[in-house]
Amino acid sequence: MTDGTEQQGNVSRRWLLAGLGVLGAAGVAGGGFAGGYAVAQSNDTQPVAQPRAGDQIVPFRAMHQAGIVTAQQPRLMFAAFRVTATDPAELREMLRDWTTAATAMTRGQLVPGQFEPDGPPPDTGETAGLTPANLTITIGYGPSLFDHRFGLAGRRPSALVDLPHLPLDHLDPAFTGGDIAIQACADDPQVSFHAIRNLARIGTGTVVPLWVESGFGRTASTDRLQTTPRNLMGFKDGTRNIRSDQKDLLDQYVWIGEDSDQEWLRGGTYLVARRIRMFLNQWDRDVQDDQENVFGRFKATGAPLTGIDEFDTPNFAAKTASGQSVIPADAHIRLAAHENNDGLRILRRGYSFTDGLDSTGNLLGGLFFLAFMRDPQQFVTLQRKLGQDGLREYISHIGGAVFVCPPGLGTLPARATLAEQLFGTSP
Amino acid sequence: MPSSTRPRRGVLAVPLVVAATAVLAAGCVSQSSASGTKDATGGGEKGDVTITLTSSGCEPSPRTVPAGVVNFNVSNNSADSVSEAELLSGGRMLGEQENLSPGLSGGFSLRLDNGSYQIYCPGASQEKFGFQVTGTSTSTWRSNPALVKATTDYAAWIRDQVGHLVATTQSFVDAVRSGNMSQAEVTYAPARVYYERVEPVAEIWGSLDLNIDGRLDDFDKPTDFQGFHKLEQMIFQQKTLSGTNTYADGLLANVKELQTLVGQATYQPAEIADGATSLVDEIQSSKVTGEEDRYSHVDLIDFQANLDGAVEAFDVLQPALRKINPDLVSTVQDRYKAIVQSLRPFQQKPGYLDTGYVNYATVDSTQRKALSQVVNAFGEELSKVAAKVA
Repeated sequence: MTDGTEQQGNVSRRWLLAGLGVLGAAGVAGGGFAGGYAVAQSNDTQPVAQPRAGDQIVPFRAMHQAGIVTAQQPRLMFAAFRVTATDPAELREMLRDWTTAATAMTRGQLVPGQFEPDGPPPDTGETAGLTPANLTITIGYGPSLFDHRFGLAGRRPSALVDLPHLPLDHLDPAFTGGDIAIQACADDPQVSFHAIRNLARIGTGTVVPLWVESGFGRTASTDRLQTTPRNLMGFKDGTRNIRSDQKDLLDQYVWIGEDSDQEWLRGGTYLVARRIRMFLNQWDRDVQDDQENVFGRFKATGAPLTGIDEFDTPNFAAKTASGQSVIPADAHIRLAAHENNDGLRILRRGYSFTDGLDSTGNLLGGLFFLAFMRDPQQFVTLQRKLGQDGLREYISHIGGAVFVCPPGLGTLPARATLAEQLFGTSP
Repeated sequence: MPSSTRPRRGVLAVPLVVAATAVLAAGCVSQSSASGTKDATGGGEKGDVTITLTSSGCEPSPRTVPAGVVNFNVSNNSADSVSEAELLSGGRMLGEQENLSPGLSGGFSLRLDNGSYQIYCPGASQEKFGFQVTGTSTSTWRSNPALVKATTDYAAWIRDQVGHLVATTQSFVDAVRSGNMSQAEVTYAPARVYYERVEPVAEIWGSLDLNIDGRLDDFDKPTDFQGFHKLEQMIFQQKTLSGTNTYADGLLANVKELQTLVGQATYQPAEIADGATSLVDEIQSSKVTGEEDRYSHVDLIDFQANLDGAVEAFDVLQPALRKINPDLVSTVQDRYKAIVQSLRPFQQKPGYLDTGYVNYATVDSTQRKALSQVVNAFGEELSKVAAKVA
C-alpha cells in the first residue's frame, strides 16, 4: 500500500477541479446532485483532471461498498450521526448530496458546488493538493433509523437490533449507537478527516454527529499482500482474518445472502463497531510470558505458541510435559479461533485509537474494533466467549454500535443514490 | 493482570495448586528439592562469580557454573582503562555493571540457562573471556531458602486474611439479615478490606471472584448480579434491605468456599510478585476511578487494602530480593512512601462510615489524577520484581 500524500506533477489536481467547479457553475444551475454530475462529466473531458486508473482511487460505486474488503488503509475517521430532521424528504436530499460528495471525494476531487467569491466555498479545502489516498466511504444504518420517523420500519432487517449487554461492556452513552454511520478510510489522515467533515457539513440541519473516532493505525489485514500490523499491546493482530480473495468465506460469513428478510440488503453486510479501551499501563507491567499466554502467540514473531512462523496453524491440543495446554485454555486465539467456534468467522477491520488522557491522567487508547459479518449474532457469539479470555483484565468495551451496510450502489441503476437505495424508490 | 489460571511458561511446575492437583504438585516439589540438594553439595551459594577488572582483562572466576541464578560480583581495584563488565550471549548484552572506577565494586544477577557466554570489558588488553553455564535451570527459587520461606509465609498470610474475611463477612451478613441498615452500612467496608488484600488469589477461581466481587457490568445478565456490590447497591443506592437475604447467604457461602480453596493453595515467588502488581493495577483501574464502590464511595479503604496486599507480597519477597537486587527494593519502597504521603490528606478519624478516609465522592478529578500517578509509578517498579525472583 502506498502511504503517499505527495501530489504527482506540478499542478494540484484538486485545485484544477475546483476551477472546473467554477466553470461548471456557469452552465449548471442548482443543487449538489446535478452540480456534482456536471463536475464529474466535465472531468471526463479534461485529461489532466481525470485521475488515472490505479491512481490511489477506490470507486465509490461498486457491487459491494468500498471499505470492507478493500485492502485496509492505515487511517480511519468514523462518525455516527442521529437524524434530527423529521421530514423523510430532508433525509433523502441529504443522502443524494452525500452520494455526490462521496463520489467526488473518493476520486480525489473537492466537494462539488458553486464557488462564489462572496460565499463560503462548497468544500472545506484541506485536501487541495493531496492525492485521493485510496479514500473509501462506507455507509451504515443503525436499528434506530428504522423506527416510525421516516417510514422505514418495513425496510429493517430482523437481524438489525441493538446488541445485548455483553461481557466487558461498560458502554459510555456518549460513544454508543447512532442512526447512521460513516466509515472513512484513507492512506492520509487529512483525507479521511476531510471526508467526515464535509459529509457532516452537508448533513447540517438534517443530522447531528453523535460521536466520532479517529484511528491512526490499522489492526488487521484484509489483503494477502499486507503485513500483519500490531495493536497497541504490541502483538500482531488479525493474523487469521478473512482475506479479500477468500470468496467462499466472504459469502459464508460476511455478505448478507438470500436468507435475509430484506432483499435490498443482499450483498450488504453488518458492521459492529466497538470502542475498546486497553489499560495500557497495566498491560505494560504484565510480564512477557503472561502477555504471550494472554494472546497465545509469541510477541516478537506473532507465531502461535505451538509454532515458529506467524501463519503456522495453532495446535490447540498440544500439551507441555506437565500436561498443561501450550496455548492456555483462556488464550485469546484459542477462544476466537474458527476451529473452536463451529467455523465461525468475521471480517475484522479495526484501528488503534487514542483520545488523549482519561480523567485520572492515564493514556486513553486502545482498539477501535470494526468488523463486518452477515449477521451481528456472529459477534455476539464470539464476544460471549471472548469475555472469558485472558485479555479481560486489560480491556473494557467503552462504546459501540451496530449498523447494516447496504450493498454497493453498483447494484442499482446508474443514477440511483443512497436515498433511492434506502427508501427503495426509483431515481 | 496475570491470571493464575494460566501457567507461567519458563517457571517450573503448576503455578498454583488447588486441591485437585495437589498430588501432582507435591511430586514437583520433591523433585526440585532433590535438584536443590544437588546444587547445595556443589558447595556454598550457587552461581557466585567473581570478576576483577584489570588493565589486562576481566577473567571470571569460576569460568563454569551450573544453570540457574548467577550473581556476578564485579570489582575494580586499580584499572584506570577499564570500568565495566558485560555479559554477552552471541551479540546480545544480557547484563552489565558500569561505571566502576578504581576502588568501586558492584554486580548483577541473572538466571542463566545452559550455554556459552562471554564476559566483555571494553578497554582491557583482552576484552572478552569465555564463560560456560552447564546443566538445566530447572531449579531456581526452590534452592533459595529465602524464597522458599517467602512462599510459605505468603500462603500463611493469605489463609489468615481469608479467615478474617469470613469473620467480617459474617458480621456484615448478620447486620443485613437482621435488617439493621446503619449496621449494614458500617460493616460493608471492613469486610471488603480482607477481600481486596487477597483478590489476585481469589481470581484463580474465576467465577468465585465474579460472584463475590463482580460489578453490575461484569455480569452477562443484570439478574445474575450478586455479591458484595449487589448488596452495596441495595444498601447505598436503593436504600433497602428487603430481598437481601439471598444475596447475603450466597456471599457468605462463596467466601467460605474461598477459605476452603486457599487452605490447599501454594504460590511461587514470581506469582506472588505478579499478584502484587495485579493489586496495584486494580487500584489504578477501579479504585482511583471510583468505579469499584460506585454506590458507597468507600473506594479509599479498598485502595488501602489493595496497597496493603501488594506491600505484604513485596515484604515476604524482600529478604531474598534484597540480596538479588537491593536497588529495586529501595526504589519500590520510595515509590510506596510517595503513595502513603499522597493518601494522608484524605485520612480522617473515624472517617466516612468509619473507614478512616473521606467519602471518595468528595475527591475531585485533580486529586484523583495525582493519586493515579503515584500508584502508576509504584506499579511500574513493582512489576520488575517477578523476573528477579522467578
